Amino acid sequence: MPIPVTIADDSLLSRKTVRKALPADWDIELTEACNGKEALAAVAAGKAEVLFLDLTMPELDGFAVLRDLHDHHAKTVVIVISADIQPQARKLVESLGAYRFLPKPLQPEQLRQTLAELGLL
Amino acid sequence: MNLQLTELQRDALQELMNISMGQAANALAQLIDAKISLSIPKISLVAAAEFQQIFSTDQYWFTRQSFLGSVKGEVLTLLARAGIETVGGLLHYALPLDERSEKELLLELANILAGACLRGFSTQLALPTKVSMPTLFQAAMRQADSFRWSSTLLLEVEFQLEGTAFDSRIVICLEPQSVELLLEKLNKLLED
Repeated sequence: MPIPVTIADDSLLSRKTVRKALPADWDIELTEACNGKEALAAVAAGKAEVLFLDLTMPELDGFAVLRDLHDHHAKTVVIVISADIQPQARKLVESLGAYRFLPKPLQPEQLRQTLAELGLL
Repeated sequence: MNLQLTELQRDALQELMNISMGQAANALAQLIDAKISLSIPKISLVAAAEFQQIFSTDQYWFTRQSFLGSVKGEVLTLLARAGIETVGGLLHYALPLDERSEKELLLELANILAGACLRGFSTQLALPTKVSMPTLFQAAMRQADSFRWSSTLLLEVEFQLEGTAFDSRIVICLEPQSVELLLEKLNKLLED
């Protein structure tokens, strides 16, 4: 069974960067979301067992998505991929239950290593 | 200069600026132990009259820095007059700020934010540049034509220091030839 995975980022370039960094042999079913609302919709529809989440997004930002998932005890594994690399942002993200924080520009090797560490591969 | 950006180019520029801005905010956050909120970068093509609008405010101080290298242009930094004392306090300046320390603080802030922003941008695109030290200038006394940027590409980001009235805007102005080179690099990035 392929794993349902969602990439949530308002930037097309950024979504492409994440997509390309995913291991080619990883058996997944991929969904893309352009903002926080779409990300939550993907989770609700069972399309995001793993969620790659940007923080600065229109409509609903990544922090709000994390809060919502946290409040609803969602089982989604969230990996935040963000340009907001301030220590306070990282701390907040971790306290809201994200599994990992990866800084942009995304290093493909770091993403693969993270997936391996989380036992997702 | 007759220039149009495709949606993809605009998206890519926005994302590159977003990352640069994150690095700049982090550079300042490390020094002041406060959180800086980031906005979505603004990419625009402007004519002289619109460019002049940037300066039609007395709410900000202005600094400028030129940069040279594979791309050339100028970085303008707008620093809010409101909340500058708070920022000075966070950076351990003696308060109240006197004229000299105020100037020093403004130049330091411009150097940190604009420097990191430009570095982030040029590194990601592999377009090395060297940026000069900032100088303060009186915006109100300048005419649009005293800048070379009669019609150009502007990359603009805004920082807001949480819990204070302070905000800062960074505007990167590129020379026409540099815009061409930038777009070439962007297209390559988008093709990959």
